[in-house]
Amino acid sequence: MENAPIKKRYYIVSGIVLLLGLILLFLPFKKNRSKVSPENLLLAISNEDRFYSPDKVAKLIISEDPSIQLIDVRTPEEFAAFSLPGAINIPLSALLDKDEKGYYLWEGYLNQKIKTIVLYSNGSVYANQAWMLTKRLNFKNNYVLKGGLNSFFKTIIKAEKPLNSAPESEQELYQFRKAAAMFFGGGGSVDVSPSPESQPIQNLPPKKKKEKAQSGGC
Amino acid sequence: MGPLITQGIISPEWNPILAFVIGMAFGFALEQGGFSSARKLAGVFYGYDMIVLRVFLTAMLTASVGLLFFNYLGWIDYDLIYVNPTFLWSLIVGGAMVGTGIIMAGFCPGTSFAAAAIGKIDAMVFIGGLAIGVFIYGETYELIWQGIYEAADFGRIRIYETLGISSGLFMFLFIIFALVLFWLTIPIKRKFSQRNLKY
Repeated sequence: MENAPIKKRYYIVSGIVLLLGLILLFLPFKKNRSKVSPENLLLAISNEDRFYSPDKVAKLIISEDPSIQLIDVRTPEEFAAFSLPGAINIPLSALLDKDEKGYYLWEGYLNQKIKTIVLYSNGSVYANQAWMLTKRLNFKNNYVLKGGLNSFFKTIIKAEKPLNSAPESEQELYQFRKAAAMFFGGGGSVDVSPSPESQPIQNLPPKKKKEKAQSGGC
Repeated sequence: MGPLITQGIISPEWNPILAFVIGMAFGFALEQGGFSSARKLAGVFYGYDMIVLRVFLTAMLTASVGLLFFNYLGWIDYDLIYVNPTFLWSLIVGGAMVGTGIIMAGFCPGTSFAAAAIGKIDAMVFIGGLAIGVFIYGETYELIWQGIYEAADFGRIRIYETLGISSGLFMFLFIIFALVLFWLTIPIKRKFSQRNLKY
């Protein structure tokens, strides 16, 4: 069989590809940090669904609801000084830590199907930031303690007695808060040692989520 | 802008529809390229037909050069593209097995379906074998394969990051490599063209 002559377009295509390669060589690699669309972000922020009220959180803690996981996003020092019972400590600065392979160290805690995560800090700013980060990564079931620990103390531990003329539901709420305050260490005198079940980050084993390799090929 | 679904520009419900359309187009392209003939794929290994190699190089160059330019122009966010994690041992073992299968049958999974669609009986037999293989693998996964499958997990690595060079430099080197390989296919084909078969 005779050899076909080399086609002219082979030279042209080779030249074009080489040119593109040369351009790429000098093109700066742009890192487009991915953004949520402004509309979605606004919607997510203005949505109040992410908040758990202090009363609700207190009730869940007291009933030792196994479906809830409190995550303290404050610093380890603050966590050591005081934390809610059963809480684990993942400081905001360490929230998105990755290992050398690019897996999020704490994803196993922060992205759960079964447990409900309640993030808290002293106010709600840091917990909200943590919530935004997890939201951005599409982690599921994350909520925020409304008003943070400050509000928790104000409403539960230092619950104000409603007026005698207040409706019965408010009286009942006050009774609950008073009982809850006793559970958390008695009105006013708060036990400041962390409860035995709560885990500082140093003792926390990283929980990564490994994605299975997807099938591909020709 | 892209990836469209990750960025929420179109909803994830489009996934199977797009996969269907792209899959049809892919199968059509394979068939039109002559890949539905088992001799075409086997030809690469015997040296009488280099089309498969050329098509692969063209596809890789088009996709990678296109991605880098799209990223530069802001049409796609490079960091949002899913990267398959590298499991070294399953790559080596699986690659060797798939390679052996391709030489033996002259089909890779994609081309076998394109060939079966135009009525090639050897391709249908191949698909039957594929199904049996998948079944055996699934049934013996925990018994035999799991250790190999999960070993040597390097995570989502990119080759230019591992080498410590920029993506542009790597792409340039890769283009040189691909062009050299492309031009090498011409003398190789000439040398072995006596064995060219009519089909």
